[in-house]
Parts: sequence; C-alpha cells; structure tokens
Amino acid sequence: MIIAEKKPIEEIIGYVDDCGKLLILGCNECVTVCEAGGKKEVGILASALRMYFLNQGREVKIDEITLERQCDHEYLEEIRDVADQYDAIVSLACGVGVQFVAEKYHSQRVYPGVNTCFLGATEERGRWSERCQACGTCILAYTGGICPIARCAKRLLNGPCGGSSNGKCEVNPELDCAWQLIIDRLKALGRLEDYEKLLEIKDWSTDRAGGPRKVVREDLQI
Amino acid sequence: MQLKRRLEAGEFTLLAEIEPPKGVNISPMIDNAAKVKEDITAFVIPEMSNAVMRMSALGSAMMLQNKRMETIMQVCCRDRNRIALQADLLSAYACGIENIMAVTGEDPSYGDHHQAAAVYDITIDDLLTAVTELQAGRDMAGIELDGKPDFFMGATANAGLSGNELDREADAAKRKIDAGVRFLITPPVFVPDAIEPFVKKLADRDVFVIPTVVLLKSVGMARYMARNMPNVHIPDELIQKIQKAPDKTKECTHVAVETVRALKAARFSGALIATIGWEHKLPDIIHGIK
Repeated sequence: MIIAEKKPIEEIIGYVDDCGKLLILGCNECVTVCEAGGKKEVGILASALRMYFLNQGREVKIDEITLERQCDHEYLEEIRDVADQYDAIVSLACGVGVQFVAEKYHSQRVYPGVNTCFLGATEERGRWSERCQACGTCILAYTGGICPIARCAKRLLNGPCGGSSNGKCEVNPELDCAWQLIIDRLKALGRLEDYEKLLEIKDWSTDRAGGPRKVVREDLQI
Repeated sequence: MQLKRRLEAGEFTLLAEIEPPKGVNISPMIDNAAKVKEDITAFVIPEMSNAVMRMSALGSAMMLQNKRMETIMQVCCRDRNRIALQADLLSAYACGIENIMAVTGEDPSYGDHHQAAAVYDITIDDLLTAVTELQAGRDMAGIELDGKPDFFMGATANAGLSGNELDREADAAKRKIDAGVRFLITPPVFVPDAIEPFVKKLADRDVFVIPTVVLLKSVGMARYMARNMPNVHIPDELIQKIQKAPDKTKECTHVAVETVRALKAARFSGALIATIGWEHKLPDIIHGIK
C-alpha cells in the first residue's frame, strides 16, 4: 500500500489561514490503514484546526468527509455538489488523490494534508517500511522475493557492497542488508544457484527515465 | 577571459558549438576548432546534447583550453547529482575553464541510452544558485571552500515563443539573470525580428542575448524545423531559396552567413554558430561573414 505521514499542522495552517470555509477530505484506502488520512485523522485535523481558529478569534466552518477512494472518478463525484462551497479542500489522501481532486475540481484550491512516502507494508502497528519502488520491471522472481531496488540503499543488482556488515547496511545500522536477506532466503529455498545468475543492467525506462508513466489495458477499455 | 571582456565592451562576439567526439579520437574536434580560433571568441561545448553519450563537456573543454582556445562548458542537471555537479565545476575552474552555461538537459528517452536513469537531483535554478554559492566560497552544504571559482555564467532561453509561453519564458530568464546569469543563448534564429519580443521583455535586465545560428544541411532539415519547432521561425521564402539553389549546401552556408550579418546589424551581442556535426564547415561560414 501507499504509506503516508501526516503533515505538521503548522504547514497546513499556512495553506488555509485565509479561508473561511474548509473541507477536510479523507480517503478510506491506504492512508486509513497507515493512520495518516482516514476518517479518524480527518476528525483529528479538523478539531486541531477549529482550535487554532478559535484561538485566533475567527469563525471558520470546517466540514469533514471521507471518501471510499480519492483516486477514482466515481467516488470523487460524491463531493460534486458541495466542492465549490469551500474556500479550500485539504485532501488527506496520497499524492495521487490530491492531484485527482485538483484535476476534477479545477477551480478549487486543493492542498495536501499528508506527505506521501513510499509503497510499503505494515511491520507492526505504527511501523511501516518500504518494499517496492514501482520500477516497472519486477525482478523478485530472481531475488527470493526481496527487492534490492527498494531495499538496498545503493539499489545494487548482483550482491552486497563492501558496506554490508553482520547483515546490516552501512547507511543505517538498523537497516537489514537487502542482499544478506536475499542470500539467506535463497539458501532457505535451496535456490542459491539463482544468486550466481547475473542480473542484466537495469532498464530504467520503465521507471521514471521516460517521464510520467501510463498503463493502458485496451481489453478493459469500453 | 576574452568572452566576458568582448561582451562587456559591446563588441559583436562570435561563438561556435563544437560537439565532443563519440569516442576518444579528439583530432577532428581540435582541428575543427583550431581552424577558426582566431575568429571565434569562445567555443560552446555541449554536455551530451539530446542525451547522446559522448565525451564529457569537461574533458573536451579542458582539451581545447590546453590548446589556448577559450570555451563555454555546458553544465547539465540530467546526469549528475549536486555532489558531482559541484565537483566538476571546481575541476573545470582549476583547469582554466571560466565560462559555463547551465542547462537542464533532455530526457534520456531522446538519446541513445533509453534505459538510463535520469538524475535531475537539482533544478537549473538550484544549479545557478549553487554556482553563486561556490563563487562566494561555500558549497551547497554550506562548507567553506579552499579557493573559490569565478565563473562567467550563461544559460539558455527559449526566445522564439509567443503569447503566454513567451511571458513564462521571460520570467524564467529573469530568474536566471537574477541568479547570476550574464548571457543567454537562444534556439536557432533565422530572422532577428522573431526574438525581438523576448529581448524587449528583458529590457530591464543586464544580460547579453546571443542567438544561435544553425547551419542548415538540406531543404528537408529546414522544412522539418519549420514544421516541428514552433519556437523557430523559418520563412517560406528562405526554404524556397535553398530549394531553388543549384548548390544547396553552399546556399545553406550563405543563409548562415546572412543570418549572422543580420544579427550583427540588429545589434545583438553576438551569435553562436551551430553546425551540428558539420564543424568542418565553420571556416566557410567565418570566411563569408568577414
């Protein structure tokens, strides 16, 4: 899922300080799971903003709506009738949702309420870590299901660098060396011969080298 | 540093683009530049233009400088992060390269290494600021330098645009000038009037606008540019003139010569002659201009 972190309240106040009517728009998907932009966080941010404006002696109307998703037309249509009633919308969705709201409601001010961080997994409640960089050419079949692009600090493709020590990365001693994890897993799978196979030079054209990407499935298009 | 001196003295300044070799045979590059060095104030050395891998601008510029030819080294955001950019700038200055030209660089998908990852760690505005910081004796991390460079810095400006796009480009150019840019190189110009609106928008800034004069190679190239480059104005009459000429290559050289003359007459600061791989034609163009 997409992992996001709440933006500091001061930053959000900086965006909306001149507003008289605000919509805080949550998303029921990834940002709900990582507790950055779901219904609960919408309520917390709205309360914090209300307190701020009250302290300033200002009356600002702040509404709360949480959509099923902000990256789909059908759900964003749910605010069609109310979107233009606000001076601004603070979207707590990931960067995709914020942009989709902005595209759909072209003349409305839309601000991000979270920082979108990475594609990751929940290790435990309150702890998420990166697993995928969406590079567009998945090599997990050859690396024991562990991605060196996302998890090796140097994105190395054929084994660890000299900075791997006791299974940890030189960049951060708390960080597992991705290649140590890969080797251990290949060993456990009895597939160490995969480690001997050289992976080809990475084709970054499916990553960002060719500019913004698009997936088109003609079989699904009406 | 004759480039700065000539421009500041108000003398019409001729520049020529010299494409670094794709390989290590530097003889053609050196020979082509040497043949016109008396008439060219400085040679612009592109940094892998169109994302085609070649010898670097730093290496090529150093070689020309070693032969006592002044250069303008392009510095490009595409292939290097802020650490490498600053390192190369320090290297360049220590090797005698005093003129630089900052560019963003085309995406690798334009070039011959489509699978390469672009860097774009910093924007061109950040790069210009970084150069100013280096000149003040600090790197981008704020750490003091042992000896600071002093560059004469330029950039590019898409001067042939119109309407809102022209306003945006003029604003961007002003930002660059305010960040320390002293000269702006434009895309190919065939009619000086085509970039007059851009020049007028910069009237309140102290900058030398140097249009590029590209050597056309064929009628097809002229037509292609006219059709596909909305920022480049090539009059139909000019294309027809080349088409009717018995020796089209000679006519293309004549067009370049006439364009340089027209720019001089229009009181531009200078012209950059870009022969795009036909650097051996530079002497003919120079001869025609004289």
